[in-house]
Amino acid sequence: MNRDDIKDALLEIIGDIDEEADLDALDADKPLRDQLDLDSMDFLDIVMELRKRYKLQIPEDEYPELITLNSCIKYLEPKLREI
Amino acid sequence: MAADYQLVIIGAGLSGLAAGIRAARFGAKTLIVEQHHRAGGLNSWYTQAGRLLESGLHAMTNCVPPERKKAPLNLIFRQLNLSRREFLIQEQWTSEIVFPGASLAFANDPALLAAEVERQFPGSGPAFQSLREAMTAFDPYKPAPWQSARAFVLAHLREPLLADMLLLPLMLYGNAEEHDMALSAFVILFRAVFEEGLFRPAGGIRGLLDLLLRQYANFGGEIRFQADVEALLTKGDRVTGLRLADGTAISAEAVISTAGLPETMRLTAGAPLQWPQTACACCGAMSFTETISVLPESARESVRQDRTMIFYHQGQRLRYQRPDALQDASWGIICFPEHFGDAQAAESEFSVRVSNPASFLLWQELRAQSAEAYRLAKQQCRTEAVAASEAYVGSYTGHTLHQDTFTPLTIARFTRKAGGAIYGSPVKVASGETPWTNLFLAGTDQGLVGIVGAMMSGISIVNQRLLR
Repeated sequence: MNRDDIKDALLEIIGDIDEEADLDALDADKPLRDQLDLDSMDFLDIVMELRKRYKLQIPEDEYPELITLNSCIKYLEPKLREI
Repeated sequence: MAADYQLVIIGAGLSGLAAGIRAARFGAKTLIVEQHHRAGGLNSWYTQAGRLLESGLHAMTNCVPPERKKAPLNLIFRQLNLSRREFLIQEQWTSEIVFPGASLAFANDPALLAAEVERQFPGSGPAFQSLREAMTAFDPYKPAPWQSARAFVLAHLREPLLADMLLLPLMLYGNAEEHDMALSAFVILFRAVFEEGLFRPAGGIRGLLDLLLRQYANFGGEIRFQADVEALLTKGDRVTGLRLADGTAISAEAVISTAGLPETMRLTAGAPLQWPQTACACCGAMSFTETISVLPESARESVRQDRTMIFYHQGQRLRYQRPDALQDASWGIICFPEHFGDAQAAESEFSVRVSNPASFLLWQELRAQSAEAYRLAKQQCRTEAVAASEAYVGSYTGHTLHQDTFTPLTIARFTRKAGGAIYGSPVKVASGETPWTNLFLAGTDQGLVGIVGAMMSGISIVNQRLLR
């Protein structure tokens, strides 16, 4: 997966988690949770979906890497390159 | 050898179904075992004489529009990957709290209750406002020692009657203790009932249960009905599975019990590990009788048509306690299940449900004497409950098309709640932990009540204990 594929996959996951999410209005450099007005329980679902879809284990101490859309892409790029 | 299931959940009530959806959604091989042939537990439905009747809660709490994303109801829908937009709801009309010489109306607009407090208790408006502000500042989910809701409310409102009036519906909405309630529960329920408000799913409880069962099946979850758990199987500090009454053994990597604290203790009896709680302290005292009367359209003329629920109390001071009688009809809830949503769409028949505090022990003693004595007492309690409610809503005795009454014994039989205690044990285990490292409690005895609370409980136990 390249950066664009990862971005599309993330947006699909977010859209699936939150039917109210306005994906077009997302600022890729601002924290996802604030923009989407989500709970930490929703945030866990992004991690769980990544695990389910790509068998990717994200340790809890690395969750801060997933704060913005761009930081997610940067974090996931090396991990999903072979997929 | 791999276990049969990664997770087995005891009970297909609202907490068990929510826990099951959560686990199955992320790929855990999950089984729910339910003793009854139908899902829902306390909040379910049955048919009688061609009519669908509902049991359990009269209305759901936490009514908010889909845009309020942080609100519990919408969070639950996201967690279960269900569309909140497609879940149609019907809001309550107006409900009322009635004590001798005083009444307070409330609806899903909190301004109405504030105005009513000022109308009934002139000059109390600012004190009521300060109570609401103090509750906003209080975090009910933060672990803390038990604090008295009664003392907290009285510290703000100097009117004991007003305090009792506010406590009555919230206690009736889910307080397992007698006399007082935990401040945390009061704050959660105040928000749920008075600030957010009451509603019914447009499809009734059956519609909600079908939605949850479908979603659980979508994610590959399995369910076995009429599967009566006889014992939990343990080895050292771990649960290895469970045995059903028909002898079937099912192995599991983890078990969530929604059967309540006393019942879960019973299922582990004989195991070497000891519970920190004692069984007798965990059996709740608060149980109820309920009479449902189905009435024809023509009865609308004689029965009050402007209220959804009436929380009534004939005594001057609130006595939230188990009666020393089969039933205490001097206080309780009257609910019109059809008085939600669009009045125009009201069905021709309508019903009245009256719920009153009752003593499980006395019903149990009576039933042990004879089936006939039990039947006659049920008849007598029905007559008294209906008569008590007629003082508030008008006469309907002569109009009844169909009636059904259930007692604490009925509740215990269908829900497994020990002592028919619908709000469970007065001892709550917020962490869901048990002496076994892979056995967790969810549901009422984890401390969250009502349909929304039960679902939140199932979700959060799976999130905290299994999805990490």
